[in-house]
Amino acid sequence: MNILVFTKRVPATQEEELRILGDGKEVDLSKLPFKVNDWDNYAVEEAVRIAEKTGGTVTAISIGDAESDEVLRRAIAMGVKDGFLIEVEKVLQDPYARAMLAYNFLKKENIPFDTILTGVQSEDDQFASVGGILAALLKVPYSSMVIGIDNIDKDHLVLRRELEGGLQERAKVILPCVLSIQSGINEPRYVSIMGVRKASKVERKIFKAKDYEENMSSLIEVVKWVYPPKKGGATMLSGELEEICKQILGIIKEKGVYQ
Amino acid sequence: MSYALIVGEVRRGIFEERNLDTIGISSLLGKETCLLIPDNAYTISEKQVDTIIKVKTDEEAFLNPLNLVGIVEQAMNTYGKPDFVLFTHSSSGMESAAYLSGSFGLPLITDVSGYDKDTGAFYKSYYSDKIFGEFRCVGQAPYVLTVRSGSFKEFVAEKAAFPKIEFIENVAVNTSRTFIEYVEEEKTEIDITKAEFLLSVGRGIGNKDEIPNYEELAGLLRAVLSGSRPVIDKMWLPKPRQVGTSGKTVKPKVYLAMGISGAFQHIAGMKDSDCIIAVNKDAGAPIFQYAHYGIVADMHKVRDKLKEMVKG
Repeated sequence: MNILVFTKRVPATQEEELRILGDGKEVDLSKLPFKVNDWDNYAVEEAVRIAEKTGGTVTAISIGDAESDEVLRRAIAMGVKDGFLIEVEKVLQDPYARAMLAYNFLKKENIPFDTILTGVQSEDDQFASVGGILAALLKVPYSSMVIGIDNIDKDHLVLRRELEGGLQERAKVILPCVLSIQSGINEPRYVSIMGVRKASKVERKIFKAKDYEENMSSLIEVVKWVYPPKKGGATMLSGELEEICKQILGIIKEKGVYQ
Repeated sequence: MSYALIVGEVRRGIFEERNLDTIGISSLLGKETCLLIPDNAYTISEKQVDTIIKVKTDEEAFLNPLNLVGIVEQAMNTYGKPDFVLFTHSSSGMESAAYLSGSFGLPLITDVSGYDKDTGAFYKSYYSDKIFGEFRCVGQAPYVLTVRSGSFKEFVAEKAAFPKIEFIENVAVNTSRTFIEYVEEEKTEIDITKAEFLLSVGRGIGNKDEIPNYEELAGLLRAVLSGSRPVIDKMWLPKPRQVGTSGKTVKPKVYLAMGISGAFQHIAGMKDSDCIIAVNKDAGAPIFQYAHYGIVADMHKVRDKLKEMVKG
């Protein structure tokens, strides 16, 4: 089975204060560390596992700037055979434009696939859409939120989708198809710095996005960036640790759940 | 007619409460509201919409994006192009909205949680709610939106009359993706939805070896230990202990959240708790917007001090 897996380099924003620049024109990402999108890490792992089981190869594709090579090296260190970077000059906010770019690329370069995997969403923009749009453009079936692949056959997969409230749906999907992979589907293997360094010896191919721009106009655009609306907000407890903990215990006693 | 087509989210005979948010944004947009659902006996407060189109198909086929695209196309051919096609931002809405956008080249904004009537901008979360983007559609309508649960239900307005009922009779069923069955979560002895006091841990816990320390604290406080998605994904706590939309919705008297930043899927599962106390290192964590009491501190230090004081 030939598998393509999309992987994205994203800023690590947990525990970071984000600043908006120029009256809402831009979010300042310059001081943030970057990492692989968490969901893509699970997708890469799943792709490698399927290939290990069924034979065939996995190719990782990243749409991003030159720095995105980092997540391709990481994917190769996890067992992916090839890495393709589709280098864009500026961030494409519109998921439709991104999916169209991927579609044009796959068509023009005539890249064969049985399955395309993406993460459910990326941590930065949380659109959760590129895989579904790409599937529709390719006119192949799609399933999002894949939390388990139970059976792999020559012409189809049996998989489980995560729904709400702990419920799952088992479905049969004919190949070729596009799947978006939910976090928790597997335990991604550990990647050492040595492993990534070794992976840099494997050649990654670089393609320029401007060669694949047919029908790629954005259908939505950002007007500006804003900080989240302030809700009521919490009463902040401060002071010495002991004082804070005394207050916590006071609150839970008052609520009658602890004596 | 200037209208919004709402794709109703239904699951196992239930008309999901999240649909109130798509109905709400439709009124806020000032559109006639046309609800598309399978032809089944759902409990709907009928005066909330102008038209209901009942589709002669079973629920699972209706929710399948490959079929839904054809159903929406039939509705558009019969009733004209809507200005908006609205979905809930859920496991079903997210996949069908994207597939619809790709099928017809329609502008798509997902996880919409606000709308500014004056500027026509839609608000969408970035970076786990730390920043929001104001978006507008520049392509041809209909615009496809998925709507965040809880964001627009306050705008649902009572209509003067009962809705018109229409039917879509013949639906082409695609066979390249087919529903097999629902898989239920296994039952466990501890039901976190019954607990009066939950101690919930998130990504901030950092390490599996810390779990027993929080189990001990939960034991001392007579709380039940639960967790957010990252802890469940890593299998540090079993799935039935997950709080959030894909896990359990809980309403304990006290919800003590430690190291949980507060992704909206988590918030949706705990926001109705009587009292929420949040401990997080990151003063900018979204959970502080929803908590009653907040503490900016290292969760492990708070844990150790609490243990010491309770044992004391």
